[in-house]
Amino acid sequence: MTTTADIEDIMARIKLRDRQALAALYDATSGKLFGVCLRVLKNRSEAEDVLHDVYVRVWEKAAPYAITGHSPMTWLITVARNMAIDRLRKKRPETGSDDAMSLVADDGPGPEAAAIASSERARIETCMGELENDRADAVRAAYLEGETYKDLAKRFDVPLNTMRTWLRRSLMKLRDCLTR
Amino acid sequence: MSELEDAYDDDALAAEYVLHLLDDDERRAFEARLATDRELQALVWSWEARLSPLSDEVEAASPPKAVRDRILRSLGEPNARRSAQALWGWLAGGAVAAGLLLFVLFGTAFDPEPDLSVAFQAELASEDRSQVMVAGVIPATHEIVIERVAGTAPAGRVHELWLIAEGADAPVSLGLLENDGTTRIRVPDDIAPGVRTGTIAVSEEPPGGSPTGAPTGPIVAAAQFNDV
Repeated sequence: MTTTADIEDIMARIKLRDRQALAALYDATSGKLFGVCLRVLKNRSEAEDVLHDVYVRVWEKAAPYAITGHSPMTWLITVARNMAIDRLRKKRPETGSDDAMSLVADDGPGPEAAAIASSERARIETCMGELENDRADAVRAAYLEGETYKDLAKRFDVPLNTMRTWLRRSLMKLRDCLTR
Repeated sequence: MSELEDAYDDDALAAEYVLHLLDDDERRAFEARLATDRELQALVWSWEARLSPLSDEVEAASPPKAVRDRILRSLGEPNARRSAQALWGWLAGGAVAAGLLLFVLFGTAFDPEPDLSVAFQAELASEDRSQVMVAGVIPATHEIVIERVAGTAPAGRVHELWLIAEGADAPVSLGLLENDGTTRIRVPDDIAPGVRTGTIAVSEEPPGGSPTGAPTGPIVAAAQFNDV
């Protein structure tokens, strides 16, 4: 198990152009980040391309992460998710998705970094629980699958503007609960 | 619209931005504001942190070994170095051209004073902020000026400053820091172009600095320069 302190140390070494450190970061975090990319893109080869670009970006731009105040894992997940969704939005309609079975994790990931502290996980679960079920599902679909307002309106069978109002309200409720 | 509603609106927009829910026009407009608005930036970071625990439910999956190999092969391919050089060249070239033009216009009466102002700045701070330094770059003289705000090197150790140029293979030592007050370091001309877009870092070393030419001790802090 790689701890947050270990990853912070690895990130500091990456800034000093230590290739071994990038390899170590990859070994500790690629399973999670690949999972995040796959969840958004639902296509293995595209998720592999994005994963490649994520680590090259980290190598080239390791410094800005500190100013965000994020833990390294939060920052890495944010970068991976952003790059995966950018790719998803550019994706031409004819590019298909793999079927669900081929996306299931294969021979199990290697040693994984503690992604997010379990207390934070418990808090967001409590607060998501305070939202109506379908609204919590909408927030999850937007975050994890990169769905657009159009996708969400279709999924929940409501007009687009209604969807936007719903989601904005849910997000503000979520914020209030999390900062309580 | 009242100020309160504005603030509420920006926070909702920041959340939608983080979720990639804004349409292309809204997203571009938001990003244009984000480039200069620090409060908006802070709202975005808060939402990123707030929502990231949602990814906990995502199962890890093993990427093929080939991806790891491909990444390690891609590292350090110089791709951005030219733009850094172009920036520095532009700064220097612009100043020279302006001086020349004034010389042409005013003849010998004009004696250009070099612009000694700091153009880029960076804060170097340790994780617990027990060590804080502010670094500034004076492009006209290729100098980095570093001022200690908090902390010093522990007894029997010194702080050494390093530059890691974007796309570079290894850090280059820029020199040792004074243990208090301000240190001025002149950056050699050949590596000066990499300062603006590179990363600077401070490591803890034995007296006299790293014996190997590469950092040997813990990294105290690292940062990139921003425009002043």
